[in-house]
Amino acid sequence: MPHSDNLIADLVGQLEPVRPLGFARGLAYALAAAALSVVAIVGLFGLRPDLAVGRFDPMHIVSSGLFLMLGIAASATVVMMSRPRVGIAHDGWTWVAATTALLPVAGVAVAISRSADVFSAQSVGHGIECFATGGAGAVLVFAALTAWLRKGAPTSPDLAGLLTGIAAGSFGIFAFGLHCADNDIVHIGLWHSAVVLVMAGLGRALVPALVRW
Amino acid sequence: MRADETSLARLMVMSQKGDRQAYAALLHECARWLRRYYSRRVAPAQMDDLVQETLLSLHNKLASWDSSRPFLPWLAAIARYRWVDSLRRLYRADECTLDTDLIGHDEEPAIAARISIDRLLGALSDAQARAITLVKIEGLSIAEASQATGQSESLVKVNIHRGLKKLARLIEKA
Repeated sequence: MPHSDNLIADLVGQLEPVRPLGFARGLAYALAAAALSVVAIVGLFGLRPDLAVGRFDPMHIVSSGLFLMLGIAASATVVMMSRPRVGIAHDGWTWVAATTALLPVAGVAVAISRSADVFSAQSVGHGIECFATGGAGAVLVFAALTAWLRKGAPTSPDLAGLLTGIAAGSFGIFAFGLHCADNDIVHIGLWHSAVVLVMAGLGRALVPALVRW
Repeated sequence: MRADETSLARLMVMSQKGDRQAYAALLHECARWLRRYYSRRVAPAQMDDLVQETLLSLHNKLASWDSSRPFLPWLAAIARYRWVDSLRRLYRADECTLDTDLIGHDEEPAIAARISIDRLLGALSDAQARAITLVKIEGLSIAEASQATGQSESLVKVNIHRGLKKLARLIEKA
């Protein structure tokens, strides 16, 4: 194998010690980025009034809990995808995603049944504020997971990109949910979920080209 | 002598720590393993290039293996990724001029059945696998593949296109 021999000699000459991409370290990066986003958003905009006095709203707990779990599940899958292996299916996150999808479904159903004016200037203005700030809160996690994937070897860059967006959007809106005091399912189901959907689309569109190897 | 999973994993651990002697041994063993892995699924003229591309990927992605996990499924994932990528490049470049006999050797150990390329191809429909094998691996023209399979030429193209997309999605799963 003369050709391979030359290449092997070159590669051996270039060898430097490497630190294996551990699962716990990768997930810790994502969670640290999410924690920083929470600190930044709460620091800039403040905590919800009810949380500030130690009271909890059931709708807030359920919706934020779903976004948080989706963020963790998608991040864990992205980290696993950075370390390829034949014989593994990266589809555990779909169950959490399906559960979280109940929020927009419920939001739409309630909006229709209420005949509520979900497109009033006030509700759209508030929705855009949540959407924009939640999206901004997704940037750190998006960057952290993309950087992690670039170190790794994802064999499905399209899926990895989609999940990076889902994780980033979920953590971003989870963080902003600590400020947003609106407990209406229509608002949460439409505007908060939109952050996850749009970030998923962005991840699917932007990340594959950055992590392909 | 053929290295087994345990000794390859041991060499890999030493390589990740910067042991060049172990790394040289590992790369030589991987080159041999890859030639067997790709046999019958790559035209002989392209074997060298593909093995070298895969070794280069292995080198660049050395950190993506974790010593708590088996080595060969990791190497097979990288090999499949490079193989599918080479098929897609062929697809885009429309280079379908392979000619020599493609008889290989079934030297894979039993454990390799799970991570083989045949298993990946087996995840496709018969029509897709046949179209890809005839055109992208054996080098027939679209018209020749159409005659051999009884599919229309446009259907052969559709099966290749859809099959390659599916292969890319199933690299680790199948």
